[in-house]
Amino acid sequence: MNGITRGIRNAFRNVTRTTALVLILGLSLGLALAMLVANQAVSDKIASVKSSVGNTVSISPAGARGFDGGGTALTETQLAKVDALAHVKSVSESLSDRLTTDDTNLQSAVEAGDLGQRFSQRSGQGFSIEGGGPMGGPSNSSSDTGAPTVARTFTPPVTVNGTTDPTNLSSGTQGGGTFTLKDGKVFAGDSTENVALIGSTLAEKNNLSVGSTFTAYGTTVTVVGIFDAGNTFSNNQVIMPLATVQKLSDQVGSITSATATVDSVENVSSTTTAVKSALGSAADVTNDAEKAEEAIKPLQNIQSIALYSLIGAVAAGAIIIFMTMIMIVRERRREIGVIKAIGASNVKVAGQFMAEAVTLTTLAAVIGIVIGVAAANPITKMLVDNSTSSATSQTMGGPGGRAVRGAFGGVQSSVTNITASVGWDIILYGFGAAILIAIIGSGIASLFIAKISPAEVMRVE
Amino acid sequence: MIEVIDLKRNFKSGDTTVHAVNGISFSVPDGQFASIVGQSGSGKSTLLTLLGALDKPTSGSIVVDGQDVTKMHDHKLIGYRGRKIGFVFQNYNLVPNLTALENVMLPMEFAHMPRARRKARAAELLEQVGLSADQQDRKPGKLSGGQQQRVAIARALANKPKLILADEPTGNLDSKTGKMIFDLLHDLAKTENTTIITVTHDLSISGKTDVTFTLHDGALVKT
Repeated sequence: MNGITRGIRNAFRNVTRTTALVLILGLSLGLALAMLVANQAVSDKIASVKSSVGNTVSISPAGARGFDGGGTALTETQLAKVDALAHVKSVSESLSDRLTTDDTNLQSAVEAGDLGQRFSQRSGQGFSIEGGGPMGGPSNSSSDTGAPTVARTFTPPVTVNGTTDPTNLSSGTQGGGTFTLKDGKVFAGDSTENVALIGSTLAEKNNLSVGSTFTAYGTTVTVVGIFDAGNTFSNNQVIMPLATVQKLSDQVGSITSATATVDSVENVSSTTTAVKSALGSAADVTNDAEKAEEAIKPLQNIQSIALYSLIGAVAAGAIIIFMTMIMIVRERRREIGVIKAIGASNVKVAGQFMAEAVTLTTLAAVIGIVIGVAAANPITKMLVDNSTSSATSQTMGGPGGRAVRGAFGGVQSSVTNITASVGWDIILYGFGAAILIAIIGSGIASLFIAKISPAEVMRVE
Repeated sequence: MIEVIDLKRNFKSGDTTVHAVNGISFSVPDGQFASIVGQSGSGKSTLLTLLGALDKPTSGSIVVDGQDVTKMHDHKLIGYRGRKIGFVFQNYNLVPNLTALENVMLPMEFAHMPRARRKARAAELLEQVGLSADQQDRKPGKLSGGQQQRVAIARALANKPKLILADEPTGNLDSKTGKMIFDLLHDLAKTENTTIITVTHDLSISGKTDVTFTLHDGALVKT
């Protein structure tokens, strides 16, 4: 038998005390483990949400969104300021325009239908044909001014997008979707050639293929590629080099949308503020990260709660084992004196007590792991449910709550969908923490052991 | 040979200094059985604590085999106590959750003796002091006072020490058992050539030792 074996045996000298201690310490370690798991699960979810929203900042002229609204186009000079900002890796720029039957021979692949007719009639205020009233949109109504009644037919226009980032086909285009190049190749971002990528349905409608030509702005344009975005609207578009569209549409230097790519998700918020500051009231600046931040705020609260609870539980465990070891050392002062008197060094005696503490905490760790594994998921879910329901009710209660829910409900429901799983790494962390607690607890106790004189053996009780 | 030269141990008690051991000098040749007697508070136990290197004197020297124990560093004293000295206490001071055999093996473990050897020697010593094989595997709580003191004596002998210090070894025993323990110590002193110094107030014991030192108020008054 050596000091370690004696320490292990000593752990069972007082079975009642050992049982009580192991249970209390086990609860403490179980709580610590559950909180560690909750913390990790929430951290993973936060990282997942952040990575899913990307690291871009969207910039558009103030008041404009696609072909809705109005306002004044941004200039390349203004966007050069954005490009110079800290944390901005790159800025892709685009200019959107519509090709009408007056300046293109392309036929739209989208039929107007009831919606198109209605939208065309309601696309603005105070529109009438020349001689009939102020400009702004079509009208087929007779007026009191005596303007002639015009029967109008409406064909949805073909949208043309000039871009500096043709490798990212969705950049600056309308309608969304996953853009894939079906045929041909993309042009260079800084190209000034009269070339274009066209949507698959538009190409089909106009019998175009790679190498074909069509007319835009009275100029012959060559098709270099055909893309598919997976939806009818997006496939009715033309993508051309920005400089070409600016030149052909007589809008040199104009930009209708830009996307700034930031070096990391963490810097998106600060960069958005910097862009707003740089462009002032000329631009609307938005990012999804801000919305994501709102959604993950409850998770960050849970993360803090879990972290503090984890620290508290580990500290409680360390205090429990420390106090226990101090009590045991005080109880066995005479025995320690005897062992020292017959030749044991402080190190040997401390080692024996450390083995005892490690035995107690290992037993507690086993119980703690069982408790932690069983409780981790329910505790995490309870924390998430309580925290997010509280946050949602606060958001919905304030102004704009409906808008937040509508625009970002998907992310909110996604953040509550957290499953805490206990892997081997977590179990090893749990054991590691338990051993650490034992070493700290008994290590401090060993300082008291060192102070016990072998003459203690002569003390008369 | 153990030689004590002008040994003093003072304690502070408030503003006053207590001279627990006050300039004691004596010597005991190897293999002799010496007793220290005196009234309570005469300094017997303090003297024994100093002789056992459990405490350091205020001044003076204790020379064992030509080596001044009072000049040794603490880490050397650990080895010295383990190898050169055996202790027998009035209340036995056995480790309660170890068997008799394991208690006797303990000092040999600290002296780095291989496990097989220390087990064999412990069994041999316990047999020598009269404990059966069955009793050797019992924990102290399952042994009588006399049997526990025998285990303590076997433990004291484990590392073949030069000196055995016994503090009232028969104090907790009835007179018959006490006599048996005294006889055992006496025999061991002769057979193992070990010097034994025992503190006692039992005059019937002190009368049978080779030499008796009488203490009064920390000073040696009679040899």
